[in-house]
Amino acid sequence: MAAKIPIQPGQAPEFVSDERRLVASVLGKDRKATAEFVDQCTDWMYPFLRRRLVARPDVMEDILQEILLAAWQALPTYRGDSSLQSWILGIARHKIDDYYRKRIREDVISEEEEDSAPEPAMAPNLEQQLDSAAQQEKVQQILSSLPETYALALIWRYRDEKSVREMAEVSGKTEKAMERLLARAREDFRRRWNDVER
Amino acid sequence: MSSAELDRQLAQLFALRSSKERAPSSLKARLYSALIHKQQQTGPLASLDASVEAGHGICIFEKLVQIAPVGEQAKTPFFCQVCHARVLAEHSDNPLIFWSHCPYVKFKES
Repeated sequence: MAAKIPIQPGQAPEFVSDERRLVASVLGKDRKATAEFVDQCTDWMYPFLRRRLVARPDVMEDILQEILLAAWQALPTYRGDSSLQSWILGIARHKIDDYYRKRIREDVISEEEEDSAPEPAMAPNLEQQLDSAAQQEKVQQILSSLPETYALALIWRYRDEKSVREMAEVSGKTEKAMERLLARAREDFRRRWNDVER
Repeated sequence: MSSAELDRQLAQLFALRSSKERAPSSLKARLYSALIHKQQQTGPLASLDASVEAGHGICIFEKLVQIAPVGEQAKTPFFCQVCHARVLAEHSDNPLIFWSHCPYVKFKES
């Protein structure tokens, strides 16, 4: 199965040519090219997924495998108009969105619970004098200790920059329900942030 | 504090720095085996001759098969399936395997 991938304007010929060769060889089921493909793709996807599945590291390998197999199946459609890395990360982004949607959709919020949800604008005291690395570490640590749906909602909103409307649409919840989920998540995050500081 | 200000702070806090973090080699090893199995479900792999012709190195065990007077079909199985290197690599991030051109060794080195 030979892949025909046109070189697009603005792409470095050697780079594109290497990727074209690799893709064609993987489609031809060359085991050595497949190893190279897995090596590269996994290094691209790993940090991306690790930051987004901090609350559920146990599902990371399954999702990585799912993405890799989906990428292999979709590889004949790869046209080379973006780098292989962007293409793979695009598939990863979709899979992560699917996972978030499924988990957040499953999160049942009763009306009573909704009504008692805290207001979001509580003094969060989030800006502290931490260097960037320590701050990142603290964020990851707290996210991994939060209930999964809280962590996913915060990552979806603030790391992936989804709007509340988008989150609501994708997860099949109302915007109000999503706002309340976010409010509870922010409050829990803020409380843990301040607790860690003490 | 306004809701917009809180959002701004959180967005800043959650912003990612670029990360050059690499995946563990045992994870790569398991993913590689899984992808090869998936490829095999749609027909045989390319033969070892094809890999050599494409400029790839093959390990000593694969070399023995590749130079054997056997048909092309006999050179298509996934020989790593029965190799100890695969088993070790799938279970450890620093397996004691050192064969040249073994994909599992390359995962460890990359």
